[in-house]
Amino acid sequence: MTTATMTKSDLMAPPVVQIMQQRSLIIGVLGAIASIAGAFLAPDSFYSAYLEGFMFWLGLSLGCMAILMLYHLVGGAWGTVIRRTLESGMMTLPLMFVLFVPILLNLPKLYFWARPDVLADPKADPKIVEIAHSYLNFNGILVRYLAFFVIWIAMAYFLNRWSTEQDSTAGQSTLRFRALSSIGLVIYSLTISFAVVDWVMSLQARWISTIYGLLFIAGEALSAFCLSVVIESVLGTRKPMSEYLNDTEVHDHGKFMLAFVMVWAYFNFSQWLIIWAGNLPEEIPWYVSRMKGGWETVGLFLVVFHFAVPFALLLSRQLKRKARTLVRIALWLLLMRMVDIFWHIEPVSHPTFHLSWVHFAIIAGMGGLWLAYFFRNLRSRPLLAVNAPQTLRLLEPSHE
Amino acid sequence: MSDFSSSGPVYGLMAEFDSAQELVAAAHKTHEAGYQKIDAYSPFPIEGLAEAIGFHKNNVPLVVLIGGIIGGLSAYALQYWVAVITYPVNVGGRPFHSWPSFIIVTFELTILFGGLSSAIGMLALNGLPMPYHPVFNVPEFAKASENKFFLVVFSSDPKYDAARTRSFLSGLAPRMIAEVPS
Repeated sequence: MTTATMTKSDLMAPPVVQIMQQRSLIIGVLGAIASIAGAFLAPDSFYSAYLEGFMFWLGLSLGCMAILMLYHLVGGAWGTVIRRTLESGMMTLPLMFVLFVPILLNLPKLYFWARPDVLADPKADPKIVEIAHSYLNFNGILVRYLAFFVIWIAMAYFLNRWSTEQDSTAGQSTLRFRALSSIGLVIYSLTISFAVVDWVMSLQARWISTIYGLLFIAGEALSAFCLSVVIESVLGTRKPMSEYLNDTEVHDHGKFMLAFVMVWAYFNFSQWLIIWAGNLPEEIPWYVSRMKGGWETVGLFLVVFHFAVPFALLLSRQLKRKARTLVRIALWLLLMRMVDIFWHIEPVSHPTFHLSWVHFAIIAGMGGLWLAYFFRNLRSRPLLAVNAPQTLRLLEPSHE
Repeated sequence: MSDFSSSGPVYGLMAEFDSAQELVAAAHKTHEAGYQKIDAYSPFPIEGLAEAIGFHKNNVPLVVLIGGIIGGLSAYALQYWVAVITYPVNVGGRPFHSWPSFIIVTFELTILFGGLSSAIGMLALNGLPMPYHPVFNVPEFAKASENKFFLVVFSSDPKYDAARTRSFLSGLAPRMIAEVPS
């Protein structure tokens, strides 16, 4: 290996990243225009589709942040090679901050507890009225939305700025990364749990699941690894990543994907088994409404194609060791993440299966902007954190 | 240079190297020269060494897969047999064959059997514990646990020939070559 002599300029992202950034931006702008048209032409489809798109792309940003924190705590070459991918992913959080505003301004379109007519109805469930007064209301959502994003963006900002500082100064301590990451992972898991209660779980009246936040944490971590594999499948064949990315690290990313596919299934099954075993009228409506009107097919589809098939395929060692084979499963799982979130949100506003062109417009619009931002971040710095001790270890010839 | 010229059966020829890179390079060349039955020894795991001697895969994963499937099926069958056939109990009006409640034990026994299979399969396939191995007949081999790296060509290799293999190994510039008595 000759990478020990590589300089910062050798480690900059290849020109293909700029091309992808431009194309993403074009797709994003066209998708955004189509989405805005959708808001007027198909308002019935727009708001739930918007929330689904928001939760998916936010999940990628936060998943990148969580995996980066995990890497700062445990280390390992698997993280050294994707560190800049994860940092670029989490630094899209300001975009997600802005993209929440349309949801905030249209709460009654999505959430029953924000509808004055529901609450004013004398026959309304007193518990719902009470919750709408004390916790689930515009001011509560606004304050918590600001708090979540201030915390997330602050953590991402510092991890990212310190990483840039590390590039210019050799021999720095990595203590501050580890200190922030250790507390940061706790904060992340708590804030995302509260956030999905506000934004997703509260869609269903009087329904509570204590594992709900974990369902999203597992999905977000899975998304982050799938994104990393997609990026390394493109960059791994080009300099500079081709110089340092080995099959061993790709294999590790495949193992992580397998692990999070299993964790996702495990959490979902836990929630389902407990509700099935309890069989209580307050708990079962969530599943009852998702087991009719075509939604049961989507649910079964997820069991088979979000869990069973990827699980069986990811058992294969050969498949996991090559980025060009692993990327197919990674892209598929990213699609399954969208379908999973779709299955969580869409049945609330549409009792029978509903998928419109607005869904595609929003995924493309948000995704294009997200990816353009992501590629811009990725281009701004070397693809490896050049002075980090882990990077120096990675670049040492392995036979010494 | 030390040499063993025993008259008994020969297990193979051993070459000693100073560094991991030399060992990997030598292993590559030996494998490329057509030797199939070779092995390498080092004080620590070396990335790429297993591939260099032509060792690509083992059957432990297959053993684990079979063990896991047997564990899962037996766990499900056991619960089905108890809950449906021999001792059916009506729990809250649910069917006797309530598969969701069987999943947890099925999952646990899949893990248990998979884990045990990996440990037992590993020992069965690598032949450990192995109280006697011919390579220890070479006194220098003790340094394989310290700071030296060894490559052995087994005499069972079809291409093995005492004189030619020895001259091939000397071409790899080892510190020494020793015959390993069986």
